[in-house]
Amino acid sequence: MAITRRNFLKCAGVAGIGAMSLSMGGVLSACSSGSSEGAKASVSGNANEVVVTMTPASEPASGFDPLFSWGCGEHVHEPLIQSTLVTTDTNLNFVNDLATDYSCSDDGLTWTFKIRDDVKFTDGKPLTARDVAFTINGINAAEVAEADLSMVKKAVAVNDTTVELHLSKPFNALLYTLAVVGIVPEHAYNSKTYGKKPIGSGRYVLEQWDQGQQVILKANPDYYGEAPKMERLIVVFMEEDASLAAAKSGQVDIAYTAATKASAMPDACELLVCKSVDSRGISLPTIAPGNKRSDGNAKLDAGNAVTQDVAIRRALNYALDRETMIANVLGGYGTPAYSVSDGMPWASDDMKVDFDLEKAKSILEEGGWKLGSDGIYEKKGTRAAFDLYYAATDSVRQALAVEFANQMKELGIEVNTKGASWDDQSAKGFCEPILWGWGSNSPVELYDLSYSDAWGNFACYENKTVDIHFDAALAKTKVEDSYGEWKAAQWDGKEGIAPQGAATWVWLANVDHLYFKRKGLTVADQKPHPHGHGWSLVNNVDRWSWEG
Amino acid sequence: MANRKKTLVVCVSAAVLLVLVTLAGLFLTPMAMESNLAAKNQVPSLMHLFGTDNLGRDMLLRTLAGLSTSIGIGIVAAGVSSLIALILGTAAALGGKKVDACITWMIDLVMGVPHIVLLILISYALGKGFWGVAVGVAVTHWPSLTRVVRAEVLQVKNSSYVAVARKMGRSPFYIAVHHMIPAVLPQFVVGLILLFPHAILHEAAVTFLGFGLPPEQPAIGIILSESMNYLSLGMWWLAVFPGLALLGVVMLFDLAGQGVRKLVDPARAQE
Repeated sequence: MAITRRNFLKCAGVAGIGAMSLSMGGVLSACSSGSSEGAKASVSGNANEVVVTMTPASEPASGFDPLFSWGCGEHVHEPLIQSTLVTTDTNLNFVNDLATDYSCSDDGLTWTFKIRDDVKFTDGKPLTARDVAFTINGINAAEVAEADLSMVKKAVAVNDTTVELHLSKPFNALLYTLAVVGIVPEHAYNSKTYGKKPIGSGRYVLEQWDQGQQVILKANPDYYGEAPKMERLIVVFMEEDASLAAAKSGQVDIAYTAATKASAMPDACELLVCKSVDSRGISLPTIAPGNKRSDGNAKLDAGNAVTQDVAIRRALNYALDRETMIANVLGGYGTPAYSVSDGMPWASDDMKVDFDLEKAKSILEEGGWKLGSDGIYEKKGTRAAFDLYYAATDSVRQALAVEFANQMKELGIEVNTKGASWDDQSAKGFCEPILWGWGSNSPVELYDLSYSDAWGNFACYENKTVDIHFDAALAKTKVEDSYGEWKAAQWDGKEGIAPQGAATWVWLANVDHLYFKRKGLTVADQKPHPHGHGWSLVNNVDRWSWEG
Repeated sequence: MANRKKTLVVCVSAAVLLVLVTLAGLFLTPMAMESNLAAKNQVPSLMHLFGTDNLGRDMLLRTLAGLSTSIGIGIVAAGVSSLIALILGTAAALGGKKVDACITWMIDLVMGVPHIVLLILISYALGKGFWGVAVGVAVTHWPSLTRVVRAEVLQVKNSSYVAVARKMGRSPFYIAVHHMIPAVLPQFVVGLILLFPHAILHEAAVTFLGFGLPPEQPAIGIILSESMNYLSLGMWWLAVFPGLALLGVVMLFDLAGQGVRKLVDPARAQE
């Protein structure tokens, strides 16, 4: 049977009915393969390929074009089809890919990359520094490019193997962005066709793309690095239920799943738990209502009457029992979140807070809040009550919001959960607390959420000292030297976004990325997965293998 | 027991049951929204007759509260719809050829577009929520009743006793009150009651599709929509009980409507 979404949906229906039968005391509809032995090949019968399910949202809407969003959009991952200048290892250290060497000028404004001279695109033409410059300049020229390289004034190919990036301001974190920007060929790039027929120099080549259904990648025979062990990757896009049904019916090798469905694991599978920096957190507007903030051309309402009070924001952080939340909502498949970058080299330990309900209450009382007769704190006629918005279609966010509201009720703060569409949430981003999903393997995310005039500063927190730390971090000529300043921006002993400081967010949990993996498939060590339950899993699919 | 009496008993019982469900739902709504994640996904038991959902909310309370919301929307929507139908139906019958043509054209226009599409558009344009859905249902359900009212009024208008009343110099108001309304009222009331189940089902449908009530509000459409995520895990109780309850309420309204028709329709007086 061909692997199509329709067939999987059929299976989903069958599995659903089977599961209903089980619950009602009927006949068990079990996984098609009850073997406990590890498989020696893919469900397709080949020992050098693997079939993976991903969410429908993981399918790149505009194709495999880095000048739109492939690899370097909202959800970042290695582009596979294209090469990158650098990449990161499992510890997030930079490793050369196309680059053989790179350096930064003392003023932080010029980055020079030396690149390999033996790399060819899949059309046989050599990859040169001109292609690198074309890609970076192209991203800045493209209106719809999602990668932010706006700090690069111009990329210049000095010769075939040297490219210089001239920056408008020191910004060493651009290396993290370059680690996910695939290099496209200048001679064969057409923005209208490239997405569907990409030419790259990466580990894989696009063999087939059935839009709305599946993508098949095959190993690039001319790849300049180590040849991929896994010669074919088949990615099938489907909803969560269909993914479970596909795993149960033995039609895929790896099926993504969620914590709520982890208990339904098929016998032939084992649970692959990937740690993530896929953080769920709540933005807390720090300014008084009545303000405005720009979002593109729009002027949006900014400020919140309750969360503008720092005592409220700090108390929310201390009163949250993250472990209980993870146990109740995620079935234990998560880790407590204290920042958008937990576990990253630039994460600050000062962001961590221990659950302490009494301390939270005393913070409120020291802040002038008094417990009202209804069990909710009040201050000068203002009740400690606010609306918390979440994406209505996301059941995990809904559960996190509800659990947060329940816990805050114990503290004496009333949180009213409101499910909303993305459009509604965007309009309220600066004036209401919103439960977001963030997290990437780059400190740029921290910058985007916390720098005074950054687009994602939903807390509307503006602090010159914090900005100075961010600027100092970005000005270091070596990324490794910048970590101290990133940490200082979060808390330098006096100021920062940490809970003991401005407490601009309350972070809840890092959600583990879960997969049903067929026994016998060895998945190479994973980097912490960023936000987005998709292509990150197959970053290193070339090093996966089957037993025997 | 005489047939008419039996019908009356059935009618009143259905009405009482619906009022009780509505009141219980209104009273229980705050409790239905309370969650206890430590007691999530529980199968039906004496403690939770309809089980609990993924947030540990009692499904019996949610179902009752959801039905109450649905009935509330049904009342508002059916009331407004029937008022529109009464006004337009009467105007079409008494207002002359041009008015009649215009209203008939409007009826054809609204009936030409699938209800659910129109309802989604109106609900979305009004910002969804209770009033979005109620207005959406209200302004899409008047055409069929308008046709009934128009036909009834036309029939009465051309009847000999109205002609006699006119000849005897009775005022239009007198004719309307003493001849038109008593003749049209039975069909109108029956039409009004039979609009309820239609309105409730459409409310559930539009909410199920995500264009109706917000997810934190207990509503049958939301309950059924959420249950889809958990059917593959065998949590059948999330869909079965609320679905049956919705079916029950719709059938009760239908039963009450048919009963009223038997009681007030002269043509069925002997049934």
